[in-house]
Amino acid sequence: MTLFKLEFRLLARERAAWIVLALFAAALGYGIWNGGRVAGRQREAATALTRSSEEFLGQVKQALGQQAIDPKAVAGRGTMAVLPPAPLPLLATGQSDLSPGHESVVLWRLAASGDTRSELENPSHLLAGRFDLAFVLVWLFPLFLLALTYDLMAGDRESGTLRLALAQGISPWRWMARRALARSLPMLVLAALATLAAGFFSGPGGGGLRVVLALAVVLAYGLFWVALAVAVNVVARSAASAATSLGAAWVLLVLVAPTLLNVTVETLHPTPSRPELVAAGRKASGEAEERGGELLNSFYRDHPELAPPGQQADFAAQHLTVQTEVGRAVEPVRQKFDEQLARQQAAVGQWRFVSPAIAAHEALTDLAGTGYWRHRAFREQVNDFKKTVSDFYTPKIHLRQTLTLADYERLPRFDFREESTAAWLNRTGTGLAGMLAFAGVLSAWAWQRMRPAKLGALAS
Amino acid sequence: MILPIARKEFLDAWRDGRFRWAAAIMVALLGVALLLAWQQVGRTRAERAAAATIERENWLNQGEKNSHSAGHFGVYVFKPLPPLAVFDRGLEPFVGTTVFLEAHRQNQAAFLPAQDATAMRRFGELTAATGLQLLAPLLIVLLTFGALAGERERGTLRQVLSLGVRPRDLVLGKALGLGVALAVLLLPVALFGAVALAKLPGGDAAGGWIRLAWLGGAYALYLAAILAGCLAVSAVAPTARAALATLLVCWAANAVLAPRLASDLAQRVLPTPKLVEFETAMNKAVQEGLDGHNPRNDRLQAFAQETLKKHGKTRIEELPFNFNGLVMLESERMANEVFDHHFGKLWDRLEAQDRTVTWTGLVAPLLGLRSASMALAGTDFTQHRHFSVAAEQHRRDFVRVLNEDMMNNTDGGHHGGTAGRALWEKLPAFRYDPPPPAHALRAATPGLMVLLLWAAGAWAALLLVAPRLKPN
Repeated sequence: MTLFKLEFRLLARERAAWIVLALFAAALGYGIWNGGRVAGRQREAATALTRSSEEFLGQVKQALGQQAIDPKAVAGRGTMAVLPPAPLPLLATGQSDLSPGHESVVLWRLAASGDTRSELENPSHLLAGRFDLAFVLVWLFPLFLLALTYDLMAGDRESGTLRLALAQGISPWRWMARRALARSLPMLVLAALATLAAGFFSGPGGGGLRVVLALAVVLAYGLFWVALAVAVNVVARSAASAATSLGAAWVLLVLVAPTLLNVTVETLHPTPSRPELVAAGRKASGEAEERGGELLNSFYRDHPELAPPGQQADFAAQHLTVQTEVGRAVEPVRQKFDEQLARQQAAVGQWRFVSPAIAAHEALTDLAGTGYWRHRAFREQVNDFKKTVSDFYTPKIHLRQTLTLADYERLPRFDFREESTAAWLNRTGTGLAGMLAFAGVLSAWAWQRMRPAKLGALAS
Repeated sequence: MILPIARKEFLDAWRDGRFRWAAAIMVALLGVALLLAWQQVGRTRAERAAAATIERENWLNQGEKNSHSAGHFGVYVFKPLPPLAVFDRGLEPFVGTTVFLEAHRQNQAAFLPAQDATAMRRFGELTAATGLQLLAPLLIVLLTFGALAGERERGTLRQVLSLGVRPRDLVLGKALGLGVALAVLLLPVALFGAVALAKLPGGDAAGGWIRLAWLGGAYALYLAAILAGCLAVSAVAPTARAALATLLVCWAANAVLAPRLASDLAQRVLPTPKLVEFETAMNKAVQEGLDGHNPRNDRLQAFAQETLKKHGKTRIEELPFNFNGLVMLESERMANEVFDHHFGKLWDRLEAQDRTVTWTGLVAPLLGLRSASMALAGTDFTQHRHFSVAAEQHRRDFVRVLNEDMMNNTDGGHHGGTAGRALWEKLPAFRYDPPPPAHALRAATPGLMVLLLWAAGAWAALLLVAPRLKPN
């Protein structure tokens, strides 16, 4: 304990340590504030869209109170499917500035592939990335941590004081562990506090479990880097070479590994061609449109219950039949497209353990609810919702039925169902376990190199 | 005296195990990046060309229909990937690939490749450009941090200076030696890049070679500035360790912090409008005129009166053509004015943001280089805008031909009448000609100026500190 206290006091006397801590605190603060601004803008947009949808529904209800109305008037305006604000948006902006957070579902355009953007963003800013808390934690946290812990033993070995210290009869492992802990503790505490603050300022949507898990991810990630510093110090000849090795490790794990994984996945499972999907959809719609009348007739043969009085189909009914046909024709292409994307993501899930930085980033965006999975859930639910919309309006339009007040409660409304806790717990739990395993392996290796039997090799 | 020093420094660098390792890793990464990018860009270009062919068939085979319906059927056009994306993909993952051209509306390019990619892409992409932008400076730091500070620490600096070597010669010799070591490393990569470009079909179009030569110049300026800056730090730092610490902090600030902070700054100074506000304002202007006091109906009414007067008729039915077609033409013309104004303003804003980021490069040279590199590779925003404008021009031509057909070849008074393949074939397929190198050069100018200032400043600093080299 005295050793820990001594090391702590030594650290407190270093002016550079205070500067490093202050810079880290400032970066954390800026990250949270910046993430908060993005989250605020997104929440504002989601609220405005939800409000305008509700206003429209209110008008529909009022109109229905007076008389029955044509379903086309309601279906044509469309229903806004809105992804509610993420549970912990201040933790990570993730994909939320890139993946659409809302989509207008219009009966006439169910098969069309429309614009996929929900906000105007400068592409250069998307390329640069966000200065959010996840950026500070995944990229900068290790750098700051290494700035304080790169010289745990190598410097003493260089100057010869290591022999002196080990001659005191203290176990090298204990000496190193206390030193490492004392020097990294302030950083770990700051990172933990920032994670808690992100949870606190994200509002009540977060839920304690997500914050606790985020905390665990951040600490495990920090521990990995401390363990790496310990392991490097066991073998490094000098403080400078320890610093160089740790710097190189950071470059490889944080800078190079994710981009290498990116190109590998891209080469193994190439992103399917969106233009080809678009062109295929168009081909189907051109063909279906040409056979419009014929399609409708066969539709009424199959669904006599939907045939309008006098079999006189109108333009709307024909359009819907064509659209269904297009959807059916494009479905296999779309399915292949989605499967290929899923394979890509599965490969990333498998290979995320090549670098703890990837595992940490995936876990943090997942916990924040701004990552791939929640956006994918949204896309899938919107696709299901399109079917609901079609099932509700199509028969009414074929039969020329009107909407009445009794229908109001049954009007399709989009409600996003959050993923089950088990699903994200499972993913992030695996990520966390992977990071702890990394830290564990490094520590075990360092520990066995520091057994008293190897003291001689250690000191020289 | 400079040459022997340069030779010694060059040999030293090559004999240093750390440098050899780092250099091998970097060259391997650059090679892999170029090779995979070459394959990927080739595939993407082929896919988009194939989609364009299918879409052309869709257009031609759409069957008999009213020409205005064909306007709503519309055409999709796909953005061809510039060949130099092999070297620097720039903004390509973050700009739309597909534009839907239809009557009445100017659409934005949709479907960003990054939306279909995994979140890994947000870590950045491994391209030859990012390798040279981020990793090559690290290699230079590794080469130079001890070049002068280390000799001072070991006491060899005092010895060398006591031999009568002029400090300036010593510093310049070292710079030359290390610069040549770096060049020997990177030239094969550049050559490989040139071969890759030549092997890509259509690779030399749009002045590929001129662009490549300027790219070489931009990267040479960047690396030269960094080399001189690092040597200057090593010249004044008390110990090699202090030099290393300073240089690594500078590297992290330049490579990791600057891009994000500069984007935040640009967004703060020149905010991007919200999509809802942008669309609301544009739709309102279409209905009420750009000045907001000239409703569309009034303008069309006045247009009808004018037309009647011009033809000396009193009733629309008496006109020798389908007046509805003429109204379509006129309302497209009115809407286009609005689109030009609003999209122009939005795109000007985005370009202004990018310029802000580029000039922030005066603090962090990477920002200047990134901007110049994307511009020269043809993957920056100005060249995406060039494509968007070309696509929009195609839309206007195509809608005009359809409306003219409606005006001249259909009965007056109603929208009726059908057209067929003969008319569809009258509309040429969309062919995009990328802007000439002069455009790229203009877009790259601010970035190149930033780099020039950095290179001049860094070398001036080096020459300034060289004569005052302290032996201890």
